[in-house]
Amino acid sequence: MHNQQDFILDVDDLNIYYGNFQAVNNVSFHVLPGEIFGLLGPNGAGKTSTLSAIEGLIKPQSGNISVAGYNVKEKPLHAKASMGVQLQSTNFQPELKVKEIIELYAGIYGVELTVEKLNAILSENNLLESKDKKFSQLSGGQQQRVSLSLCVLHDPKLLLLDEPTTGLDPQSRRQLWDRMEAIRAKGRGILLTTHSMEEAEAVCDRIAIIDHGKIIAIDAPQVLMELHHNDPEVIAASRKGKITLEDVFIGLTGREVRN
Amino acid sequence: MEVTVPTTSAVLKSLLLADLRTQWRNRRAVLLTVLVPVIILFSWKGIIDQVGGAFALGTCITVGLMATGLMGYTNSVARDRDKGVFQRLRVAPLPAWTIMVSRLFVQLLMILVITATVLLVGYFADHIVIPSAGYVLAFLAAIVGAAAYLAMGQVIVGLIKNPEVVQSTTRLVYFIFIMVGMLGQLGALGDYVKEYVIWSPYGTVQTIIADAVDPSKWTSTSTEALLITVGYAVVFFIAGIKKFQWSNK
Repeated sequence: MHNQQDFILDVDDLNIYYGNFQAVNNVSFHVLPGEIFGLLGPNGAGKTSTLSAIEGLIKPQSGNISVAGYNVKEKPLHAKASMGVQLQSTNFQPELKVKEIIELYAGIYGVELTVEKLNAILSENNLLESKDKKFSQLSGGQQQRVSLSLCVLHDPKLLLLDEPTTGLDPQSRRQLWDRMEAIRAKGRGILLTTHSMEEAEAVCDRIAIIDHGKIIAIDAPQVLMELHHNDPEVIAASRKGKITLEDVFIGLTGREVRN
Repeated sequence: MEVTVPTTSAVLKSLLLADLRTQWRNRRAVLLTVLVPVIILFSWKGIIDQVGGAFALGTCITVGLMATGLMGYTNSVARDRDKGVFQRLRVAPLPAWTIMVSRLFVQLLMILVITATVLLVGYFADHIVIPSAGYVLAFLAAIVGAAAYLAMGQVIVGLIKNPEVVQSTTRLVYFIFIMVGMLGQLGALGDYVKEYVIWSPYGTVQTIIADAVDPSKWTSTSTEALLITVGYAVVFFIAGIKKFQWSNK
């Protein structure tokens, strides 16, 4: 058993409403140091709302969130300084060069940036040759790498990665998984949202499946597969005889396509 | 271990440097913003004696302020909001107001550049001589006037989310202000329109700048125009900030 103080991220009884619509319904989970935690769910299930509340972009109606021990309501700047965030879409001024974007965020996070350190960050992310290119001139993969380099710039205790591999080729995706595992090995926690069950199975230590704003399952991917492999809905969802995490996901959330 | 939150001044410095770089990379657009009032000033060379040097300078600075406040600031905010630039900044440990303060500071520099350019062109090309106090007061009046236009831009970007619609709206408002404002104030559209134009955001800003350029002409009407301009700025800013959303979603 873990103490609450051990949690890098602690989400407790979170409720988010948009008008009368309840997007998140009593959601609770935690992320431990050295853990990759996946938040999975169909479109509109409440993943982004949950993530936005953790990031401080929206205010939940009730519930508590703490990041590295800092309550996001009471100490928002401390909580934000303890996490690195990669949002779904890439988002920097297109006129700025790669090195200038890193300089900007180093200043914002209070990271002292020498030329050597800047070059080390750039080469670690395979961006050294593109450092003088404007953000708008980069490929999708390069833009993702810029975004990821900023996530870890201040060595945060928690990383929030919102569908980070969307649009990446298999090589880039594998490279990102390696990096995530290296960050985990350093004792950092990662909260990952993804639509790729393959990714969740490959890198996540635990996952939570969220649907209609509620968490309907939470455990290690293998445990969930063992737990649900005899469910009729899961068997019906199976395509190749062998039960996969995707079958469990479809079995639990249904076949209906969401908007 | 306690996490360190950077100081607001360090954050502002980084934001400002990035915003200045962005503005510099968009220098062609900046040049056009400065060029319009300069062209008007040149084209009025023959009628400066009739309209008065202060009136001409006031009009040209007003046109420049409208371009930077209404179009430059508003369109850049609309674009960056659409691209998610603000959302990325907002997940970083900085107070949200610092994002806007940095942008407004860049606009302040633009106001100074426009005002200085118009005054210099007026002096060298049209030989408009103003008292030294006029230079200082012109800058101050330009800042007050620009606040009204920046606030109007804030209302537009608060009410409209789509950056393309924001762009067309600001262009339309700019065009209407120039055409109706300039022609109306010169009396070309009749006394009825002239009366309205004088107390419109175009007219009050033009009045305070023209009268600041030549302080001997400052009257109670100038003071009224100043108060109304401040009123426009306050009302529009409150409405614009209230309606503004950081995200397009």
